Amino acid sequence: MRILVLHAHPVETSFNRALFRLVVDRLEKAGHQLDILDLYAEDFDPRLTRAERLSYHDLSINRVPVDPYVGRLLAAEALVLVHPVWNFGFPAILKGFFDRVFLPGVSFGMVDGQVRPILHNIGKLVVVTTYGGSRFRAMLMGDPPRKIAKRVLRATIRPGAPMRYLALYDMNRSTDASRTAFLKKVTNVMDAF
Amino acid sequence: MRVLVVYCHPVPESFAAGLRDAAVDELLKAGHEVDLVDLYAEGFDPVMGADERRRYNTMVMADHPFPGHAERLQAAQGILFVYPTWWYGLPAMLKGWLDRVWTPELTFKIPDGPGPIVPLMTHVRLLGVITTCGAPRWWSYVVGHPGKRTILRGMRALCARRCRTLFMAHYMMDKSTDASRARFLASVRARLARL
Repeated sequence: MRILVLHAHPVETSFNRALFRLVVDRLEKAGHQLDILDLYAEDFDPRLTRAERLSYHDLSINRVPVDPYVGRLLAAEALVLVHPVWNFGFPAILKGFFDRVFLPGVSFGMVDGQVRPILHNIGKLVVVTTYGGSRFRAMLMGDPPRKIAKRVLRATIRPGAPMRYLALYDMNRSTDASRTAFLKKVTNVMDAF
Repeated sequence: MRVLVVYCHPVPESFAAGLRDAAVDELLKAGHEVDLVDLYAEGFDPVMGADERRRYNTMVMADHPFPGHAERLQAAQGILFVYPTWWYGLPAMLKGWLDRVWTPELTFKIPDGPGPIVPLMTHVRLLGVITTCGAPRWWSYVVGHPGKRTILRGMRALCARRCRTLFMAHYMMDKSTDASRARFLASVRARLARL
């Protein structure tokens, strides 16, 4: 399968980067064709510009500033996100990837002012993520990143496509045992991709 | 009240700019003090780099990447966010401002032992959001209104215990009309006038 692996963490030695490496390693070993998009390594600018905003709904030109990224997104058959949750949301660099690349005509169409999802080339979605706070605390806050993944992204990709949300909560108080167990879980899901 | 207005939109002639102007105008008329942050105008960089992330959990004020913003945040008694909702959440620019400016020691403390983080923004007694959404109201709530929750629950947890909140959204912006926008502007003015 052609899998786009989207990663967003700045620190080489972080646990999140270790998860990213694990994901890439297991998927490669299983013989998948990977397209690795490490937003920090690419120095991706997440700020949607004035020009982009003004041409946002013009399907003939809206993708021009981010054309290579649109091409990679549309060429993928599956999408894997590996990112931390900061302040109950995506890191800005990843939020900006949605703002700038998931455009009208790419991930959704507009019919009579309403959104119609069209990213139907993506037939599988897996999110691997880490939270500083506990699951309970995230739930109290409405757990925005989980809902974006499980409701918005799931509604954007091919209808009925399988989706997994793998989250390690409470990183601030994680132990070797909890991290090892999570690595094992991610390994299993990647091996069965 | 000293209100920090955090405005984020790339287009100076946008409807969001009109909302910002109306909000600032009403706050001043009601006798509040306003400090306006315009993230696009100042070219704020929302991307937290590796060094900053490494130091984040032990960040002290002397190391703060944006001392000016930190000072303004510390002086605020109310914070009003004016932004467009993109992908159900905050524009990356604004998300990065939260990530990089709302640091430990300034906004919260991670305890040494067990227990939740300790809020330090207890001088903030009002958090407000004025936004525009492409989606309809019902769908925004089905997906959990991520932008609203991030600010009014996530960031609110770092503010005063009885911190009041305010949320106003113009839904279905892509079908908005002159009349619907004028109505929304008027309701924003009316709401802020009786803060």
